[in-house]
Amino acid sequence: MTRTIRLVSLFALLSFSGPTLAAPIHAVLYKNPQCSCCEAYAAYMRENGFDIEIKPTNDLARISQKAGVPEQLEGCHTMFVDGYVVDGLVPADVVKKLLTERPAIAGVTLPGMPIGAPGMPGAKSAPLTIFAVAKDGAPPTVYATE
Amino acid sequence: MDPRSIGAMSRRTFLIGASTVTLVASLRARADASEIRLAAAPAKASLLGSNRPQTGVWAYNGEIPGPALRLRQGEPARIVVENRLAEETTVHWHGVRVPNAMDGVPGLTQPPIKPGESFAYEFTPPDAGTFWYHSHADSLVQLGRGLSGAIIVKEREPVAVDRDLLWLVSDWRLTEDGEIAAGFGGMMDAGMSGRVGNVVTVNGAVAMEAPVRAGERIRLRLVNAALARIMALRFDGHSPVVVSLDGQPCEPHAPEGGRVLLGPAMRADLVLDMHGDPGRRYDVIDDFYDGLSYRLARFAYGEKPSSRDHASDAPLVLPRNPLPEPDLATAERHDLALQGGMMGGGALAGMGGMKGGMNGMMGGMMGGMGMMGGARNAAVWAINGQSMTGDGAAEMKPSLTFGRGRSVVLTLRNQTAWWHPMHLHGHSFRVLTRNGAATPHRQWRDTVLMAPKDVVEIAFVADNPGDWMLHCHVMDHQMTGLMTVLRVS
Repeated sequence: MTRTIRLVSLFALLSFSGPTLAAPIHAVLYKNPQCSCCEAYAAYMRENGFDIEIKPTNDLARISQKAGVPEQLEGCHTMFVDGYVVDGLVPADVVKKLLTERPAIAGVTLPGMPIGAPGMPGAKSAPLTIFAVAKDGAPPTVYATE
Repeated sequence: MDPRSIGAMSRRTFLIGASTVTLVASLRARADASEIRLAAAPAKASLLGSNRPQTGVWAYNGEIPGPALRLRQGEPARIVVENRLAEETTVHWHGVRVPNAMDGVPGLTQPPIKPGESFAYEFTPPDAGTFWYHSHADSLVQLGRGLSGAIIVKEREPVAVDRDLLWLVSDWRLTEDGEIAAGFGGMMDAGMSGRVGNVVTVNGAVAMEAPVRAGERIRLRLVNAALARIMALRFDGHSPVVVSLDGQPCEPHAPEGGRVLLGPAMRADLVLDMHGDPGRRYDVIDDFYDGLSYRLARFAYGEKPSSRDHASDAPLVLPRNPLPEPDLATAERHDLALQGGMMGGGALAGMGGMKGGMNGMMGGMMGGMGMMGGARNAAVWAINGQSMTGDGAAEMKPSLTFGRGRSVVLTLRNQTAWWHPMHLHGHSFRVLTRNGAATPHRQWRDTVLMAPKDVVEIAFVADNPGDWMLHCHVMDHQMTGLMTVLRVS
């Protein structure tokens, strides 16, 4: 048991002392209280250096809408991180790219719940298309494909 | 009596009291005495309280909820519905075993009522109990904007309680300025738990307080008129006894785990002995969704107790309704599998008969671009691989046909990751088992709530001829395919 704790601590130390991310990035994730994929996504993000605070809500559609995400591009949950909205099961490296590049957009979204996306079971059958959410309601553009 | 209630009794009482009416007027009034008029029209409602902005709603007779209709068991009712909306409507008398032509399903049982037109619904309620009425056209929008109300069918002999209270619970998705939020039929609502709102009202008011007196016995009729919100109600400091479910008396019992579980469209009649302290307030809490509990309402005890020092000792059993008992030995049996939705494991992949575009939201269907078209009335759910979408239509073919008078056992299998309150029109059914265990307390219902992966057996006698809908009462789920039609020939 002691050894396990020591190993875990060592691992934590290593992962937190990486060159790009000195400390976990705080994010608030609003999710449907009955959706379990969002929990799996939060676990995945934690493994990738994010500190995720989960807030269950029945008002997800409004939260996502107010953040500027077009209704037809909604993901299954809405996360706020360092001034950006990240809607849906967006892979961690795309979020990191967003936080590094800091473009003048509201955020990014991965619509729906594609199979093989982080938090979803199975392997991808097609590339994931992540859209940029504009600040001014302009039509969405592709931000990244994974 | 609820001051909003209308119907034969109150109007007759008024006539008797009015001594100056002329003979002609009283004759005309007597001819109309049993006629109820409901006009569906846009209105304003103070849902959030008098000092907050009003909400633009659609209402029956300008009231939220619609007027409580008080009918009598076994006596004919005539309800004229006038459509003053800008779109078609119908009214469904939920749980009342009406003739098929009066069931209010557009296309399937009647032509929809066009704007400016009226339709007279005539039926004789066979069962006493708590029922409700609501629009069945453009259901998601019309119900979500307020078109619903309670029906109380009185027992022939009065039930021994001190007071009879009605709480119709509605759920609204409002914007900051108190208006109903747009975005009905969004794809996430459709594929997940439906349009659950952000403001819950009891009898049209938020944070309602019900004045009570220590020592009295109350019959509390609960109606869940929400589009999608499931409720689990705890009564702080009190011990409710469930005496009726969906208008059908059951064996009186304490609710499981102390919480009254009510899915959309479901009702429960409770008997509450008010043994709290005079002057105190007691909360009624809804804590169905993890981490999102809130106070639905509150009992406010007056300073003076009632004349009795303890609640009534009268028995709590309500008289049974004339329901035909299904013969399980000879019943025909069918399986109905509920499929689809988010995290559904691709159950809809490759299914036939699907309307609209498949849109990439189900696991197994993927590709992010696939869903750009939106989900309005697209198939997201199915029953046995078939998706019937919308509110009802003439071309909906029955998935099962029963000879009239046959006993039927349906096994409903929820293969989805979401909850579904499944409603059968035209019949009440007995809930036999849930996940293999016999259902206690003699439960007859018209709507059975199914948790994810639940398997429920229901039984009924197919004694009401016509085409009847069986559908999920989470309105988004109904609109996007969780619906079928059963025919009684």
